[in-house]
Amino acid sequence: MPKVSMTVNGKPVTGNIEERTLLVQFLRENLRLTGTHVGCDTSQCGACVVHVNGIAMKSCTLLALQMEGASITTIEGIAPSPTELHPMQEAFRENHGLQCGYCTPGMIMSALDIVRRKGHDLDEHTIREELDGNICRCTGYHNIVKAVAAGARAMAK
Amino acid sequence: MTATGIGAAVRRKEDIRFITGKGQYTDDVVRPGETRAVFVRSPHAHAKIKRIDTAEAARMPGVVAILTGADLANDKIGNLICGWMIHSKDGSPMKMAPHPAIASGKVNHVGDAVAVVIAETRAQGRDAADKVKVDYEELPAVADPAKAQAKDAPQIHADIPNNTIYQWSLGDEKAVGDAFRGAKHVTRLDIVNNRLVPNAIEPRAALAEYDAGTDNLTLWNTSQNPHVARLVISAFVGIAPEHKLRVIAPDVGGGFGSKIFIYPEEVVCLWAARKTGRPVKWTAERSEAFLTDAHGRDHVTHAEMAFDGDGKILALRAKTIANLGAYMSTFSSSIPTYLYATLLSGQYGIPQIYCEVDAVYTNTVPVDAYRGAGRPEATFVVERLVEVGAREMGLDPADLRKRNFIKQFPHQTPVIMAYDAGDYNASLKKAMELADVKGFGKRKRDSARHGKLRGLGYSTYIEACGIAPSQAVGSLGAGVGLWESAEVRVNPTGSVEVLTGSHAHGQGHETTFAQLVSERLGIPFENISVLHGDTDKVQFGMGTYGSRSGAVGMSAIAQALDKVIAKAKKVAAFMMEASEGDIEFKDGKFTVAGTDKSAAWDDVALNAYIAHKFTGAELEPGLKETSFYDPTNFTFPAGCHICEVEVDSETGRTEIVNWTAVDDFGTVINPMIVEGQVHGGIAQGVGQALLEGAVYDKDGQLVSGSFMDYSMPRAHDLPSFKLGLTETKSPSNPLGIKGCGEAGAIAAPAAVINAITDAIGTEQISMPATAQTVWSALQRANAARQAAE
Amino acid sequence: MAMTMTGEVQLPAAKETVWAMLNDANVLKACIPGCEELDKLSDTEFKAVAVSKIGPVKARFKGNVHLTDLDPPNGYKISGEGDGGVAGFAKGGATVSLADKDGGTLLTYNVEAQIGGKLAQLGQRLVNGAAKKMADDFFANFAKAVSGG
Repeated sequence: MPKVSMTVNGKPVTGNIEERTLLVQFLRENLRLTGTHVGCDTSQCGACVVHVNGIAMKSCTLLALQMEGASITTIEGIAPSPTELHPMQEAFRENHGLQCGYCTPGMIMSALDIVRRKGHDLDEHTIREELDGNICRCTGYHNIVKAVAAGARAMAK
Repeated sequence: MTATGIGAAVRRKEDIRFITGKGQYTDDVVRPGETRAVFVRSPHAHAKIKRIDTAEAARMPGVVAILTGADLANDKIGNLICGWMIHSKDGSPMKMAPHPAIASGKVNHVGDAVAVVIAETRAQGRDAADKVKVDYEELPAVADPAKAQAKDAPQIHADIPNNTIYQWSLGDEKAVGDAFRGAKHVTRLDIVNNRLVPNAIEPRAALAEYDAGTDNLTLWNTSQNPHVARLVISAFVGIAPEHKLRVIAPDVGGGFGSKIFIYPEEVVCLWAARKTGRPVKWTAERSEAFLTDAHGRDHVTHAEMAFDGDGKILALRAKTIANLGAYMSTFSSSIPTYLYATLLSGQYGIPQIYCEVDAVYTNTVPVDAYRGAGRPEATFVVERLVEVGAREMGLDPADLRKRNFIKQFPHQTPVIMAYDAGDYNASLKKAMELADVKGFGKRKRDSARHGKLRGLGYSTYIEACGIAPSQAVGSLGAGVGLWESAEVRVNPTGSVEVLTGSHAHGQGHETTFAQLVSERLGIPFENISVLHGDTDKVQFGMGTYGSRSGAVGMSAIAQALDKVIAKAKKVAAFMMEASEGDIEFKDGKFTVAGTDKSAAWDDVALNAYIAHKFTGAELEPGLKETSFYDPTNFTFPAGCHICEVEVDSETGRTEIVNWTAVDDFGTVINPMIVEGQVHGGIAQGVGQALLEGAVYDKDGQLVSGSFMDYSMPRAHDLPSFKLGLTETKSPSNPLGIKGCGEAGAIAAPAAVINAITDAIGTEQISMPATAQTVWSALQRANAARQAAE
Repeated sequence: MAMTMTGEVQLPAAKETVWAMLNDANVLKACIPGCEELDKLSDTEFKAVAVSKIGPVKARFKGNVHLTDLDPPNGYKISGEGDGGVAGFAKGGATVSLADKDGGTLLTYNVEAQIGGKLAQLGQRLVNGAAKKMADDFFANFAKAVSGG
């Protein structure tokens, strides 16, 4: 089986994997980073969003072997320390932007990418349009939209 | 109100693990030596299985076992069952066809399992599954419930003619007929309540492990009610005796009803784990979920409402065909009967109601409860009839509603339910203010200037929640009681563990239940933990559905807390050498009336366990109490949702521009969580009204079987919502809670369709009201208008 | 998931020639897009393997092809069903008629096809386009074969 090496949440990792292994499988099954979820098989739901070299991508649509040398960040890797939360995580909690929690890691990773691309002052319309690739079945998005706006503002501080 | 007590918007305890990626969902659990189950599923809606050849597949790398329906039968594994008996109006019992976990001899829907491959990895399982050869002899299929009873329709199950499960009725047909004959106006509607796929974002999963040393089986699964799963799998399917089976439903990523039921895959994983001696895991792919998760709704209804000359409703009559799919799912029979027709009185004093329901088999995925379960269908019938009736009679829809609102409680409807509390005028009035109904005319004119058609629609809904008094549901055919259990364990250091039979899959019970305990015991919120979802730890409980966890589950906790406090008072009495009757308990402190003696909660807890101050003959050591709470009535949450839309007359695209919801949920424990529940419910209701539809072609192929074609509501499909509350306490439980989980999904579809039809001026609109549907309706209406001119 | 499709193609050869080629397994194999095997079991029956990709679903179909309603040299009905394993199934048939026209032959076809399983679930939106393209490719290939290309 071919070998792949990448950096995940700042740590170098390697694995011998079948060619068809998806990045999300590699993260979940080989590295046991189960915060990245799988909610569909057609690249629609966004539960699997991670950052690849700083850019949000759906890890269900990437082969792990493509990630040779890449730097991957997952939900487990965004907090500044084990005892602190990232401001976007804090905003989701403060604004009740999650219920069952299953779409949440993907939502937070996408939200961070929205801030990267669109800045810290996000209006409701922009957030709703930009969340197109993430499906939540619990919250009706109302509080997710609030959370993303608040998290974006907090990240500017 | 304390900062963490009842009524406080406490931030959730469960969030930390979810926002840091530390949740433990079933697929995240890994057992040593774990194998993967991959199912071979029928691509045909209806076919005989002529032959299954597993020889080539069995030689594939990594294959541990391949099992078929024949193996299942050889091992005498029982069928899945529907646990609610419905009798037809002629007195005959419903006709339940056998539902084996793996089909044997015949498949009855696309996705019906015909074999399972157990392999070392999922990829190897898939490779092998592709090599399982199944010879089918195709049979004609029927997917449309309206065609299932036709003479030339294929009969799906032996001995069940016309695919008819039951022909049930409720109400006085003759009295209703008389009322219609005396009516000044009759409104008639043909309604299709579109079939939906629940689509919790976590796909269903099961992991089973067998311990040969103890003969114990453990199942981790995505369940809303692990004890009921254990009971059914033991008592009916016969996999293992109840005490030898442990069911753990860890973090569950949304349910919406679809995770109540006992599914074939759980049975197969357990069976295969014992057979192979290896842990067996199955996780649905989304495509598989579309073909195996119980779907929701799917009613075809003709409904009529009779009015007198003053716009008073005289009677309602409805005839519904309910599609239950290829097999009867766990609670499927009750949804289009006792959870549907019993709510046809809405918020209105309707003297006579008659409803007939035919439940039919079709070659489609089984249909069962989905958020609201029967009550959205009832609300849609009632709220569409009232709205259309008002328009036909030239009356204001809000005014017509007010004229017919029930104002005195208790109110016995003609369809079983006895409403015990409510104030429907109050929620309507508040909603109309919040929605600025007065300013609607101006907004409509503004929209018209931009080529947009603006419409406003009401939905004054009611639901029966807090499901439900055991004796009442027993008399209606339920095979189970619908009480709930709780155990409150006070530790020697005074911290508290609550073990509840309710199950959370997004509702935030770890937070709200702790709020109740914090308030009642006066102890810090942080010192309370709530445990659920493990049959080895938690006493038998009934689980979460029907907006029951607050009204029933928390009432059980409240009852256990009363017992704990009573016992703690006894301990405090011994400690302070006072008479038990003189002990008062407030804010976490025990005092002796008329003295300055006091004992802190922690001290009393410790003394209960060290038992130095009393003898065993006087008082048992320990501080732990259990309660089984059975409610005295359903609860009746109700309210008013107002939807305002703008329809693009060129494209038919509907945009929801305002949404106002004023709900009466009785006591609210945590307003933040309640609002979240309402938001989510509205989104699912809007999804039904505008976007979602499980579409079968005439051959029984599901053609909207992925998120590419089944349109899930996304952030830009919805507005932010304006919410309000009114409050009348439920008298049927000690906390006054009514329940909030389903309200949005129940109220929303009628509000949306009432708004769209108001905007476009024609009632001929079906759900989902996609741009194409609305555009076509506009064209038909324009053509009709031109023809009339 | 059913679909229908009709079309016609003008071929630069006599009806008898076209007819013979329509019954020649080697010609058919070369013309059917994705066809990997087409073995003659009898004059009217073939065993076939073909690879087809519709949207996100790619499958290798194995099945039999039958010729019925034979009316030499005026036409036949060619039908078949293919089992694509976990991808589902495809089946259908085409009524093919030949007529003399402009010194050559006008071939008219009338296709009815049905798909099921994963193909229908995930690929249905694309199936009409895919089937049209397959038919176009087949007859383009066939026209080339008939012209001696």
